[in-house]
Amino acid sequence: MSTEAVAKSTPARKIVIAGVMGALAVFLGWTHLGFIPWVAGAALTIMHVPVIIGAVLEGPVVGTAIGLIFGLFSLLQAALAPTGPVDVWFQNPVISVLPRLFIGVVAWLGYKALKKVNEPLALAVAGILGTLTNTVLVLGAIGLFKHLPWSALPPIAIANGLPEAVLAAILTVAVVVAWKQIETGARKSRM
Amino acid sequence: MSASEFELLRTVTLGQYLPTGSAIHRADPRIKLLAGLLLVVAVTAMSSIAGLCLSFALVLVGFLAARIPLGYALSGVKPMLPFLALLGILQAIAIPQNDANTTVFWRWAFITLTARDAVAVALLFLKFSVLVWGLSLLSFTTTTTELTHGTEHLLRPLQRVGLPAHEFALTLNVALRFVPLLAQETERLMKAQASRGADFGAGRGWNFVRRFRRLIPLLVPLILSTLQRAEDLILAMEARCYTGGKGRTYLVHFRARASDYAMLALVVVVLAAALAASATPADALAWRAISTLWR
Repeated sequence: MSTEAVAKSTPARKIVIAGVMGALAVFLGWTHLGFIPWVAGAALTIMHVPVIIGAVLEGPVVGTAIGLIFGLFSLLQAALAPTGPVDVWFQNPVISVLPRLFIGVVAWLGYKALKKVNEPLALAVAGILGTLTNTVLVLGAIGLFKHLPWSALPPIAIANGLPEAVLAAILTVAVVVAWKQIETGARKSRM
Repeated sequence: MSASEFELLRTVTLGQYLPTGSAIHRADPRIKLLAGLLLVVAVTAMSSIAGLCLSFALVLVGFLAARIPLGYALSGVKPMLPFLALLGILQAIAIPQNDANTTVFWRWAFITLTARDAVAVALLFLKFSVLVWGLSLLSFTTTTTELTHGTEHLLRPLQRVGLPAHEFALTLNVALRFVPLLAQETERLMKAQASRGADFGAGRGWNFVRRFRRLIPLLVPLILSTLQRAEDLILAMEARCYTGGKGRTYLVHFRARASDYAMLALVVVVLAAALAASATPADALAWRAISTLWR
């Protein structure tokens, strides 16, 4: 497996990883496994974690493709089965699709910048940056369409964005470290 | 702990192929995809009960023409009903539909049920049914290979602008194929972890740290085993010398016949009529009838 983890990136690899991680984002959203009830009202989501993992493994193009699948699914879900007034806003592709295209790119940039220093740290940073991109851009688009006043946005960003960033960082590190069999120092992973 | 707790998507028939050899099965997949896309867009934009009923009739005719037993199609919708009911209740409560000239059925604390709420819930049910049945019809009558090639052909104009149409079509189809696999894998993992004493029961309380810690032993192996499956698929594709869309030729070339265009024209006409129905007073009459009956 260790040889596979460093295998050269081919078209087949990019397509399959993008498809599989896109499927994971859809699956997490569809089954509601990707939502965790949270005191601040809106549930925390980890649906964007597949985008971050895909971007870290296969680069920004794959990250963008997974983001597109994630965005299209959240658009479709909001249109088909709105569960509240917030879902109605997500029927606008500028809110549901466009911001998601950037998650992968930003996560990959963060990972790339710190990879040489410390890989687990770079993965955590990728998870945090990817999540914050999602939070800031989605909320920014919501503000742009005046669904909420600008002053209401920072508290939401902090109440939901920060815990989501922590969850995403934990998951990204756990999955990619195990997949690439990076030694984390604590103990060798035994896959 | 019941067995159904582990069943995620098992009973969902959406995504299966049901060969009956009907005219709809033999139709050009590009036309079927286009018709499906039109249906999704039109139904999403629709907000009239009469229009949705008309679209539903169109889908029903499609099922009859494809010779697919209606009972089978219904069995795919049945497991979604409790979820849909919950959604209906949520919508009635969470999205206030109050305006001056609507009949109030019931008022309790901050919850008010009005005729408009009833209409909104009916719309939700109809929209959901039309879309699920319409997309099921597409998947029952079209193989995965046909879907992939059809998507690719439809996206081909984008290739002129430099977008990788072939690659994106294949990505979408890998995603579609993997969703049921993920469901199976999750079931397997949940059972495995439950046999070791993990508790996936209904989330009691708001202790989100505990809920997240329950998800970790499920999500991490799920993602890892999915990546493992992805490696198998990559190996299989590379063993067959797959190198992407450039310079690729096709074994089967689609040729749309007159009957295909006739089918597309029928879909367009019915959907246009359904969209136009929202401008007619058919729904207003229905609302008034409901309100009068209530009084």
